[in-house]
Amino acid sequence: MTAPTVLAAPRPVATRSRPSPPEQRKVSLRTRWRRDRSLIIMTVPAVLLLAVFAYVPMAGNIVAWQDYSPYIGILDSPFIAWDNFARVLTSPAFLHAVQNTLVITGFQLVFYFPLPIILALLLNSVLTPAIRTTIQSIVYLPHFFSWVLVVTVFQQMFGGAGLVNQIMTQNGWGSFDLMTNPDTFLVLITSQAVWKDAGWGIIIFLAALATVDPALYEASVVDGASRWRRMWHISLPALRPVVILLLILRLGDALTVGFEQLILQRGAVGAQVSEVIDTFVYYQGVINGDWGFATAAGLMKGVISLLLVLGANKLAHLFGEAGVYQKS
Amino acid sequence: MTPVTHASRTSGQSRRTFLTILGAGALGSAALAGCRTEGGGGGEATSPAGAVTDEVLPAYSALDYVEPDFPSVNGSTAGFASIPAELVQAYDAPPGSGSTFTAMTPLWGAIPPTDGNQYFDAVNAAIGSTVQFQISDGNTYGDKLAAVLASADDVPDWVCIPTWNIPPRFDQAVESLFEDLTPFLAGDAVLDYPHLANIPTDVWKFCVFNGKLKALPFPGEIITDAIFYRDDVFAAEGITELPTNAEELLELCAELTNGQRWAANDLWNTATMIHGVVPKWRIEDDGTLTHRIETEEYRAALEWNAQLFAQGSVHPDAVADNSGDAKARFESGQVLISNDGVGGWHEALARQLGSNPGYSQRPFTPFAADGGTPVLWKGNPANILSFIKATDDKDKVAEMLAVADFLAAPFGTAEYALINYGVEGVHYSTDDDGLPVPTELAATELQPSYIFLADPPVVNTKVQFPGFVEAFCTWMADASAYVQDPAFFGMQITEPNQFGSLSQPIEDLEKDISRGRKPLSDLDAAIETWRSTGGEELRQFYAQILDAQ
Repeated sequence: MTAPTVLAAPRPVATRSRPSPPEQRKVSLRTRWRRDRSLIIMTVPAVLLLAVFAYVPMAGNIVAWQDYSPYIGILDSPFIAWDNFARVLTSPAFLHAVQNTLVITGFQLVFYFPLPIILALLLNSVLTPAIRTTIQSIVYLPHFFSWVLVVTVFQQMFGGAGLVNQIMTQNGWGSFDLMTNPDTFLVLITSQAVWKDAGWGIIIFLAALATVDPALYEASVVDGASRWRRMWHISLPALRPVVILLLILRLGDALTVGFEQLILQRGAVGAQVSEVIDTFVYYQGVINGDWGFATAAGLMKGVISLLLVLGANKLAHLFGEAGVYQKS
Repeated sequence: MTPVTHASRTSGQSRRTFLTILGAGALGSAALAGCRTEGGGGGEATSPAGAVTDEVLPAYSALDYVEPDFPSVNGSTAGFASIPAELVQAYDAPPGSGSTFTAMTPLWGAIPPTDGNQYFDAVNAAIGSTVQFQISDGNTYGDKLAAVLASADDVPDWVCIPTWNIPPRFDQAVESLFEDLTPFLAGDAVLDYPHLANIPTDVWKFCVFNGKLKALPFPGEIITDAIFYRDDVFAAEGITELPTNAEELLELCAELTNGQRWAANDLWNTATMIHGVVPKWRIEDDGTLTHRIETEEYRAALEWNAQLFAQGSVHPDAVADNSGDAKARFESGQVLISNDGVGGWHEALARQLGSNPGYSQRPFTPFAADGGTPVLWKGNPANILSFIKATDDKDKVAEMLAVADFLAAPFGTAEYALINYGVEGVHYSTDDDGLPVPTELAATELQPSYIFLADPPVVNTKVQFPGFVEAFCTWMADASAYVQDPAFFGMQITEPNQFGSLSQPIEDLEKDISRGRKPLSDLDAAIETWRSTGGEELRQFYAQILDAQ
């Protein structure tokens, strides 16, 4: 079979060695159809959904080669070849947005990505189930807040007229304004992301840890392994495939750094630090009505993201990891 | 009534308002920046924009039911102090024939409930058609419009478009999306709709796009914006000296600010007003055009606004560019000075007087930055337009126009009273002087909605707020002495689309410089960029219109 298999669940790596792939034999199409029939039928609805809502709309990307206006339609908008792409690549504003995007992605990769893993390891070491579920619930609840709410909460807490500042000025300790300082904007949006989503992120790592055979821990304790040793030699290896998987997926999203969060705070810190590709596309396309230009920018972002995922996946294979998918 | 002329003028800036959960924004510079009418179809623009032939304009036939108590001075808004005891019933039977129309309108305030809203039910019953409102936050209305108009199927039957929210490529949109009203209203055809015929010709001129009559107007006032202060708080704190120049306003702001309270919201619009910054262009003596950002006044306004921010007088939430709560901050007394559209005044009274009978706000008497004679640039004859979705069903258009005629019934009619004061006993009770006293329900249900579809010529009839009409009309009559016509006044100009992205960097820079994120010297580079990326061509475009005049 040649179709890529997506690995939905992590495999319990630490417990046994990886099974060697089955022998490939030529099987006739007919035999394969008979064998996989029910599975294929089961996937049909999903494929249809994808086709209708993902693949058909992709044809709309044709407007990237047009001076498109929604009021006259795709059919009547004039084709202008690669003009839009040329304009995108020579637009200082776009390049600036790309730069901001990469800076934010890089910063968050270092300061946001590891946090759920650390949290999961810590939580995993809490043995009382009641405490564990309570902590888990508390840290993942903010995930269900919308960005508007998150930004509001931050503004009410840390804004110039926020709670913290009020207490500080009342006590004569001076004041600060975290929300409008462009220099600390990276820290601000990262802490918002951490508060909102780090708790949610630990769920998948906890699931991976749950697959570890407790006997391994018991055996290592018998052998005299310390807490640190147990984490290093048992927990972390169990997490590795998931970490790699999520890292690759994150790379695919590298150019997507949170449209809502940034557009909400754009005015507070200025476009200089907050304009990213997504907001740029929005202003250029929807607000300024330059739809073709914006589509070209968005399309380039999509292509680069795809290449990043494919590249990272390849790299993972080179290091002997499963990655996002592989050919069986 | 006082048209809610941009009840809260949102500008290009507030397109990006932050946290506009409960409407209410203000701070518009577009107010004076005039209509942001970018649009146009890439390159070959239609015949010089703004050219209007008389054939498309409706005839004018004045209707006067009542003489105003505060007459107009130099075009200022006239006002009424009382309601006539006998109201004229303009329509004996409802004009509608039972159809249902969807209508999209902006609102700068809490969105009223649409189900079980007795105000909507009563007006719908009176007009004989059902108008289903899709009310959106006025601060982000432009963003929503751009998306709605791009998808023809989602366009409601009736769309209200404030001129400062007109999206790019609008000359194409107006052709494909909206009904041409010329056959229904041009010339004497309008006489079938006597209240629409009562709207002055200058106002209709503003409704002409691509040489066709395309829209119904919400007539505007000659002064669109004001700098408001909380005179109730000023009185309580013994502040009697009001500023007469830019320096004094800065000092007053510094004085008003303490650890728990700030003097002002973002006063960028104030800065442009006191410095007399032109809305868009200035025609020099030699006939050349200077864009507002190239003027000394603009630079001075930026410098002044930056000073205001630097001295810490602006509320931190306003520094964080949260203009959505600007009105809430002003009305709750967290800030004491805020600029707003003149219509924002009575809207604030409607919200506040119920719970805080002592609430009061007043506009500063206009002053110039240097203490000299102030300049106020005349507002467009219409700032908010409504469009009817194109349809083959001409009877439907006629029905909607009949409804519009009902909505445009002037002061002194029972129709006007219903639309503006609601239902007696539900939304107001009548006091001994015959004046309506709003009920609590009025504060939630009776929000500007129908008036944005069509409205009679501007008058101030907000008699339900004690003393308001007199204060408003006197202030505007005084201020009207300083009103001047800006360049291209009264012309509906649709800019070609290629200029659509010119204003974005400038608006960003205005905020950056005001908030001290960038030095004022960056303005020179920005102007250079503006010139080289299309500003000069834009100047050419307007120069051609000027030559054609």
